[in-house]
Amino acid sequence: MSGLGDAGTARNGVPPAVILCECAGTMKNIDFDRLEAAAGEYTEVLRGRHWCSREGKARLLELMEAGDGRRLVFAGCSADFAARRFQKLRARGLHLEIADIREGCSWVHGDDVATVTDKAIALVEAAVRYPAAVADELAHGHRRSEVLVIGGGVAGTQAAAEIAQMGHRVELVERRPFLGGRAARIGSVFPTNDCGQCLPTSDQQAGVRKCFHRNQVIDHPELHIWRRTTVEAVKGRPGDFEVALRRLPNIVTEACVDCGACETVCPVEGSEPGKRAIFTEYYDGRVVRTVDLETCTFCGACVEECPVDALDFGQSPVRETVRVGAILTAVGCEPAPPDLLAYLGYGHDRVMTQVELAELMDEWEDEAALGLLPARHVVMVQCAGSRDRKRLPYCSRLCCMIALKHAIRLRQLFPQMKVTLCYLEMRTAGVGYENWFLAARRAGVEFLRGTPPEVQFDAEGRPVIELEDVTAARTMVLRPDVVVLSAGLVPAAGTRELAETLGIALDEDGFVEILDRKHRATETSGEGVFVCGSAAGPKALIEVTTEASAVASEIHNFLSSAGRRRTPASTVDAAACVGCDTCMTACPFGAITLVGRPHDVPRPAEVKDAGKLAVIDGQVCRACGICAAVCPELAITHNLSDEALFGRLATLMKGVERPVVGFYCTECAGAALTLSGQHRDRYPESVRLVELPCIGRVSALHVVEAVRLGAVGVFLAGCADGRCHYRSGDASAAEQRRLAGELLADAGLDVPVEQWHLCAVDRTSVARRLRLFHARATGDTAELAALERELAALTGSEPTACVGGEGRARVR
Amino acid sequence: MPACADTLVAEFEQLAEECRMCYQCGQCTSSCPNGRDLSGGPRRLVRLVLAGEIEAVLASDDLWRCTGCGACTDACRMDIDVAGVLTRLRSLERANGALRCPERSAAQVAARRLDRHPRIDNLVFGATMAARGHVPRDLAGAAEAGFKAATQVLPRRRGAAAAAARRAADTAGPEAVTLPFYAGCSLPQDGALHALVHEVAAGFGVLLDEAPGAGCCGHPSRGTVPSYFRPAELVFTACPACDASLEKAGVATTPVWDALTGRARRRGLAVRAAAPAFVPYVGCLVERDAALASLAAAAELAGAQIRLDFPTLHSACCGALGGMYRGATRGSARLLRFAAGQGAPVVTPCVLCRDNLRSAARQLKLRVPVYFWPEFFTAHCDASGGCDRCPTT
Repeated sequence: MSGLGDAGTARNGVPPAVILCECAGTMKNIDFDRLEAAAGEYTEVLRGRHWCSREGKARLLELMEAGDGRRLVFAGCSADFAARRFQKLRARGLHLEIADIREGCSWVHGDDVATVTDKAIALVEAAVRYPAAVADELAHGHRRSEVLVIGGGVAGTQAAAEIAQMGHRVELVERRPFLGGRAARIGSVFPTNDCGQCLPTSDQQAGVRKCFHRNQVIDHPELHIWRRTTVEAVKGRPGDFEVALRRLPNIVTEACVDCGACETVCPVEGSEPGKRAIFTEYYDGRVVRTVDLETCTFCGACVEECPVDALDFGQSPVRETVRVGAILTAVGCEPAPPDLLAYLGYGHDRVMTQVELAELMDEWEDEAALGLLPARHVVMVQCAGSRDRKRLPYCSRLCCMIALKHAIRLRQLFPQMKVTLCYLEMRTAGVGYENWFLAARRAGVEFLRGTPPEVQFDAEGRPVIELEDVTAARTMVLRPDVVVLSAGLVPAAGTRELAETLGIALDEDGFVEILDRKHRATETSGEGVFVCGSAAGPKALIEVTTEASAVASEIHNFLSSAGRRRTPASTVDAAACVGCDTCMTACPFGAITLVGRPHDVPRPAEVKDAGKLAVIDGQVCRACGICAAVCPELAITHNLSDEALFGRLATLMKGVERPVVGFYCTECAGAALTLSGQHRDRYPESVRLVELPCIGRVSALHVVEAVRLGAVGVFLAGCADGRCHYRSGDASAAEQRRLAGELLADAGLDVPVEQWHLCAVDRTSVARRLRLFHARATGDTAELAALERELAALTGSEPTACVGGEGRARVR
Repeated sequence: MPACADTLVAEFEQLAEECRMCYQCGQCTSSCPNGRDLSGGPRRLVRLVLAGEIEAVLASDDLWRCTGCGACTDACRMDIDVAGVLTRLRSLERANGALRCPERSAAQVAARRLDRHPRIDNLVFGATMAARGHVPRDLAGAAEAGFKAATQVLPRRRGAAAAAARRAADTAGPEAVTLPFYAGCSLPQDGALHALVHEVAAGFGVLLDEAPGAGCCGHPSRGTVPSYFRPAELVFTACPACDASLEKAGVATTPVWDALTGRARRRGLAVRAAAPAFVPYVGCLVERDAALASLAAAAELAGAQIRLDFPTLHSACCGALGGMYRGATRGSARLLRFAAGQGAPVVTPCVLCRDNLRSAARQLKLRVPVYFWPEFFTAHCDASGGCDRCPTT
């Protein structure tokens, strides 16, 4: 045994052991004697016919229990397969490094024993000589049990109540004096057509749901409600945030007996519809009365009138700090601002939004009872401000249903009223929603396909709408009495500031961006910061309440888990870091900050003054390696270091004629390649694959090095398009690919460099794609023709299929 | 149906690419000043482009009823340059289609004429169109216009406008200002009206300095004639079409009526209106709300009532549809009926619109007088009648 000079390969002075597995003779194209001898040149080899047999596992257990911390490099099946096979041993602490010579070599290549064995030898040597840092560890930051919930609408309140019932202390912060949010102020909600101010009850109270003010869940001892309170600042880390809150005084004290005398003398109109500056709300019974500090002129009339001296204008705002383990943002959405709707005449007294119509509906019901007709013709305009590139490019999702609900109600109240609904598309996708559409048709609502470019007014101030009835292909002029705008919905005011305070990303429309559309719909880009309800995009109440319950469970899981299993965080070499912000901008998780460079740390020669230094928060870092790939000074070390990567590359490519190199991420692309291997789909031996944690780990230098070593084609395979597990690894790889292309072009090298998106669904086509890429890169026309024949046989038709998903090239 | 040329198919594919995001909401057609008289309008044409119905697009008259005002582009939710698409469709039609409609012929005749002459001559234009089989719909109106144009060749008439301008300059007070003025094609072909413009302006203390030899503005729907003016030069105009096409060429323009109204307001001049009330009409090429506001300002100075219904009634197509009067449109008919109901004349800042609306009124047998701006508004003079500057009403 020689060649163990590399300090990195041995651990605790014990050389690594190669656990060489013949997989019960399923790898006939590998000459195991030669492989054993080759590996034996530099380390100890323990060869077995079948390591996952009972006897094999017993031997492994012995090795584990030797207690020398020895590295065990398993040369056999893929990591995925081995993980299943040695599940119980892993649970007892077995850690295997993998050299996949089965799905990654033997099973995907032909019968040429010499070349297949060569490749297996290279795979084993690369794994032994160039290890990654210890593969994973449990980041066990202590997580506090308390939770901060921002927003006391239906979403926030329901989530807060449920989290409290799970045993966490909850700080529920609401900017307004009342809970209930927007839903409580709307008369009725679809699809249930009842009020929107109930919460589910706990087991302690009869019934399935109760109004906010009657529901005992709000009285949970662990639920602490902060009214008129805003979040000022957030410090700390996931699991232990320190949040500064600012609470405005209520002015009206506990002494209030709700006599209402103050309201009768208040001369000021408040900002709540139909209220004075001192007022009360009944949907949330906890606060009886309050003062609207935005409009109050502090005239003192109410103080003089109050019989019990319950008004104290001497109170000042309170600042307090709470410490919590997780933060939930449930700040909701609101109707588009008036200036966005000005083109449709908003601001004119005969033009209103659906929300304003809802508030007017009580009045109109009284008129209906008296046999009056408040308007002969009502025109509703859908997509007002929505689905419009000049205004809100997105669909606000709720407006169709709100309009249907109101249109039906109007037709029921006033059979003589003409109700016309000008729509772009009716979107009634939801359980039972179509019934509302049909009910509106039945109720005699007129549906007109087409939306007006403007609402005009005649000399008498009556609205005039000139528009094309698209289905009839004719223009017409409508002269309604009232125009109701189904206004688009925008993020609640202050969402952007709050996102900055919390350090979370917003999506392109300004709503809170969720971590993963499919599986992590209640998590934000910031670890430990969650979202539910319309803060992440307009949602119907029934979706909001579903999300509230979901996020409660997510937060409980987050706070009670032992911590995220993760690979070691990347580190910055202060002696090389020049304090540019490249890594900070690139980090998809905000784990990197620039700090003032301490005087006692080393610095690069060109940094003269104190300057800045990048610092990676190990708790937040998810070790994707994007920062290490983009750092212009190569100052960041990922657990799979550049030295290891270059070493693996050189080992794998050594002595191979016209190799094709593929970098692939271990996530979706890894799944596709391993599954393809289990399927035993073949591709040429000269395709050499390098596994990365994320395709964002690849840098232009790696690509150029592969070409320098003789690669005739390079591909970067990441997760399915837009589905990178690390948010931006895919985009980073694209940029590095572009850079590599420039560098290669400058050097006059014409080597194809492709970027692929793979996921497990590509398991049946990925091998063919590898063959195609290999054939094109090597100029193998015979292979191209063979592929064509194969595909023709597969489809039984003319070969026009696109090979390998986005392979782009049509085989003809 | 013969197969289309590959280049044509490629052009259509390119256009379809630009229109890909169309929602078919109909806002383009709704906003079109001529939308009421089209069968589906730009919205339908875009749909046909997307469907690859090349023959159907090239066979649509709608293509040639576009004045290029750009309202459809402004209205589009998806930022599609609908007006630009229509312009390109027209050139494709001209190269590949075989449509026979007066608007297309008019464009062709005008374009051909402008290749060789600086301006369009109404007599030649009308004769060429008639020779091509496009008989004017309003013979009386055509005869009147023809007569006016013909009398221009008489030596005594030819200098009427220049004489009026000289007279104005000679009698001008010390406070008079001189403004650079562009008269366009139509005005010089009606010598009396052209002279009237100078006289009325002089009444407001404004002398109009005409650019001699300025050719056609390059009508916006044809848009190839180079401009006589330098970019950013300020020019006062008497025709909304000139206004629009000079703006497109980068020349800063202002309707001369705005200047007169503004001067009257600043200097406290009394303005006289030819009738106690009127219905405004601003045409399709102007910035509608600004033009209506300008007329309302003039009305206020003159103490005349402005009778408005809703804005697009006063800006829908007058019926000219590309240089040729084609009969009353649904828009012009509705406007004239509204004016008849109000018992008030129509006032417009566009001389072409005036002629077309007069034709439409004749056709509809409505006794609605239609005035060009300077025929209606004059600066009040103290001479109590009998002055030859005042128009007879």
